[in-house]
Amino acid sequence: MNFELSQDHKVLQSAVRDFVEKEIKPIAIKIDEDHMIPDALVVKMAEMGFLGSYFPEEYGGAGLDMLSYAIVVEEVSKACGSSGVLISAHTSLCSGPIYTFGTEEQKKKWLPALNTGEKIGCFMLTEPNAGSDAGGTMTMYRREGDEYVINGSKTFITNGGYLGTAVLFASHDRSLKHKGISAFIVDLQSPGVTILKNENKMGIRGSYTTAFALDDLRIPAENLLGVEGKGFNVAMDTLNGGRIGIASQALGIAEGAFERALAYSKERKQFDQAICEFQAIQFKLADMWTSIETSKLLTYRAACLKDAKKSYTMESAMCKMHASETATFVTKEAMQIHGGYGYIADYEVERMYRDAKITEIYEGTNEVQRVVISKLLLS
Amino acid sequence: MKLLVCIKQVPDLESRFKPNSEGVWYNETDLAFRMNEYDEYAVEQAVQLREKMGDGCELTVLSIGPDRVVEAIKKSLAMGCDNAVHVQDSAASSKDPWQIASIISAYAKDKGFDVIFTGMQSQDRGSAQVGVTVAEQLGIACTTTVVGFVYDNGTITARRELEGGIKAAVKLNTPALVTCQLGLNIPRYPTLPNIMKAKKKEIVAIPVADLLNEAPLAATTSFHPPAKKGGGIVLEGDVGELVDKVIAILKDKTAVLR
Repeated sequence: MNFELSQDHKVLQSAVRDFVEKEIKPIAIKIDEDHMIPDALVVKMAEMGFLGSYFPEEYGGAGLDMLSYAIVVEEVSKACGSSGVLISAHTSLCSGPIYTFGTEEQKKKWLPALNTGEKIGCFMLTEPNAGSDAGGTMTMYRREGDEYVINGSKTFITNGGYLGTAVLFASHDRSLKHKGISAFIVDLQSPGVTILKNENKMGIRGSYTTAFALDDLRIPAENLLGVEGKGFNVAMDTLNGGRIGIASQALGIAEGAFERALAYSKERKQFDQAICEFQAIQFKLADMWTSIETSKLLTYRAACLKDAKKSYTMESAMCKMHASETATFVTKEAMQIHGGYGYIADYEVERMYRDAKITEIYEGTNEVQRVVISKLLLS
Repeated sequence: MKLLVCIKQVPDLESRFKPNSEGVWYNETDLAFRMNEYDEYAVEQAVQLREKMGDGCELTVLSIGPDRVVEAIKKSLAMGCDNAVHVQDSAASSKDPWQIASIISAYAKDKGFDVIFTGMQSQDRGSAQVGVTVAEQLGIACTTTVVGFVYDNGTITARRELEGGIKAAVKLNTPALVTCQLGLNIPRYPTLPNIMKAKKKEIVAIPVADLLNEAPLAATTSFHPPAKKGGGIVLEGDVGELVDKVIAILKDKTAVLR
């Protein structure tokens, strides 16, 4: 067994780190305050290849692997959870299913613009009444000649505000539940797509979370993704991969908060000594670091299993669950170590605390992850 | 046109350094390494020239050291170098600047490089001798602490940084060696697609024994952190007493009251 990153992965890690240090860290507070990632940063991240890391070069990707992708999301999220989820949702929830389920024609048509960041991708599954229970999808589609006509609403769509490219799920017969669902590739600039609102959130405030109305949205029949009626499988397979992205985001948020807490505990003096001299703080640091390391091992392992084309459903559920709970735990403790200053925006750990919580909720709540894990254990 | 850029991998300078068991250099265990900062300027300038000269131009990056230096080599390849030479030497850190320069010269002497780029100095040893010594050993022109670089038709016009912010312009004909200083350029980030492309570029490994025939001229005999400073003096007593004590100390320890 080898727990070391390869030299190629280390080169990548250090390149991403340098970029994040200079281009993202200095503006992370502003991204949160403005509820907006500057377009210039999105362009720079695209130029770095962050938006197409593991897709082949022939589709405009960087041609690297899932582990590289995990490292990119982790390193970016150390400084800014919003930017991390932009990459994660774009890559694994939109480009991912197009790459996995798309025809050669679809891949050639849609992936280059996604991989180069010309279009930002999103995943339109969640509805007001269909969250964890995706089988309850109410958005309907019908075939009319060479087109599909889609009506309904979608909510909590990460990256939706960019109006780029979406992988969208709709049903043609609600009574069939998940067997009635199909997946489609949608250009969100099409008539019939209306943004109802971009949500105001507790955390990851730089990231769009969008509610849509779909009113007679017409898309060409060739935009059906995968087999008609098998959309639920597309969604589940996609979320499996997506969980590695969210685990990486959560891991990065936790590491970012830990770095600050560790440094602060050495600087801050109370009762004539640095607070890291107190065992109360030392034990917190030990628990935080152990959780981070276990999350990292689980996340990198899930990524490596996907790279090796082995089954990774349980591993991706475990890493997502554990890393997200690590993120909420570590950011909470990081704030505690900072004392009153931790509650002040300038110290950034309060933002990380707010950013962390969503990782326990989206791309499958942690309750759903526990269902996935226990089902596999008992099957 | 043939270009060479020589790079060194150095520890993160924020590391906590401890002497090694022989007490002549730092202990490398647990240190994180990265490319020497000045060498990044050298790589960037070399890549810019390589891009300007186009297809007929070839840029080689060279580094001496143990396997870990391949990481720095790969970064250079991802920044745009065409191919690489790794001089394998697990004891590179114990060699003096003369030996390091001799290794580079032995490699470069029959290759016909038109321009050789190095950093101004390394961030760990900081001798600033390797670049100039290579130029001397190869018998080519050299200028140091370069903050501006223009190449045109066999002539380099370099801007050098002197003391006190003063600059000098130097013209030299190729073949030539330049050592690069902070301010020359802003090194590019290796992008993910270029990191991928770099994987396909050739890294030739050469054992150091094939290139080194020189004994050290200046061996390091000891490596130690600076002596710990005293914890300061805390004076106590009434104001008059304190003033007398302060005056006594100032007279004794400084020149201000003599």
